Amino acid sequence: MEIDRRAFIASLGGPAAVALMDHEAKAEALEHYMEDKLDEMVAAQQPEKFPTVAEIEAQIETRPFRRGTGGVFTGQRGQNVKKLEPMPDKATLQDFFRLRFAPANHVLQSATRALKTGMSEEIVLACLLHDCVLSLIKPDHGWWGAQLFEPYIPEKSAFAIRYHQTLRFYPDQEAGYEYPDQYYRIFGHDYTPPKYIEDTYKMLKNHKWYMEPRLVTVNDLYAFDPNAKVSIEPFEDIIGRHFKQPKEGLGYDNSSSAHMWRTLARPDNPL
Amino acid sequence: MLKAFSASLLLAAVAAAAQAGKAQTVNGLQMTVAGVKLMEKAGLRDCPPGTNTVNAVQRPGDQLSVVTVAFKVLPDFKPRPPGTMKRAVATAADGTAYNTSVQFVDVGSVPEYSCDFVYRVPSGTVLKTLQIEDAKFDLSAADK
Repeated sequence: MEIDRRAFIASLGGPAAVALMDHEAKAEALEHYMEDKLDEMVAAQQPEKFPTVAEIEAQIETRPFRRGTGGVFTGQRGQNVKKLEPMPDKATLQDFFRLRFAPANHVLQSATRALKTGMSEEIVLACLLHDCVLSLIKPDHGWWGAQLFEPYIPEKSAFAIRYHQTLRFYPDQEAGYEYPDQYYRIFGHDYTPPKYIEDTYKMLKNHKWYMEPRLVTVNDLYAFDPNAKVSIEPFEDIIGRHFKQPKEGLGYDNSSSAHMWRTLARPDNPL
Repeated sequence: MLKAFSASLLLAAVAAAAQAGKAQTVNGLQMTVAGVKLMEKAGLRDCPPGTNTVNAVQRPGDQLSVVTVAFKVLPDFKPRPPGTMKRAVATAADGTAYNTSVQFVDVGSVPEYSCDFVYRVPSGTVLKTLQIEDAKFDLSAADK
């Protein structure tokens, strides 16, 4: 077995911590480290056992929050929530990216791929925004997301955001969309989409804009790279051309989704 | 008559060039099929690959055939506009064409790399050829 010396030293608390250990303690630590690594390697070779819908449901009462709660309302990995930096006056989309949607790696990766594979600006924008609403709420995030952005973006982009939620359950080999293993993990391997999703899929199959949400799902699949380096800068021009930034700031323009932006801005308000 | 003769000559030329393990070059991008394997789970990574963590999983009745291709960017490679390089298409013995979800993204960004093209096909399907742009590879010899 090859040992990554740096990773091993880091696991012990760094060179300073290692310097304080005697030879016996170092040998013991190395043995434990190798045992752990071996366990990881053996586990990686086993076929993954995906949960059933019933097993996922059985986890509901093990949590102090519901799985559908938006990201700004829960702490990371069971920790307490952190105080949020207030939004600036006349907040822009970029302000929300920085202060409420961050780190937004997945949507930035998704939009980067759309850009690099020559997709239309409406699709690039849809990819950039498609999961942002998860900070606010998770169930039916396609519909919620489309509603949040609809007053400000092209109709095609809103359509793509609304319906990517449905199409992600249906593989499309011609378009390059596979059913991802992560859905077996989060929905259960025996999950079947509810009737309203099936009905929506039937409607979309014959829709002239079918490919708009489909292309969002295609990029969605390839945007879970923990090592990808992404930023919002490459999208500034597309945002400038297609996102109608209200002069009053998002949340204060009396649009149909202004209240959603205000909730994102001030999620600690009790009422 | 002449047309038919020319067409058959062209087909023969394509067939001669279409051999797995033999490098073919398109627009300064040298490609060599390294192998075909069946996998229960296959990583969905673009070409050149990053470290995307999403996988395709085999389902009852189908199989994941993965074609591995080695790429080398030659000095005469010229970058093309984004999205103009088509996805690799595999064809089975019965003539059915299969698409992969793997896309070419920034193909000139790394000098040498290897890509896995994942094809979901019915169980028992043997892939016969792989086409990347104008390059056509015979997979019969590479299939394991």
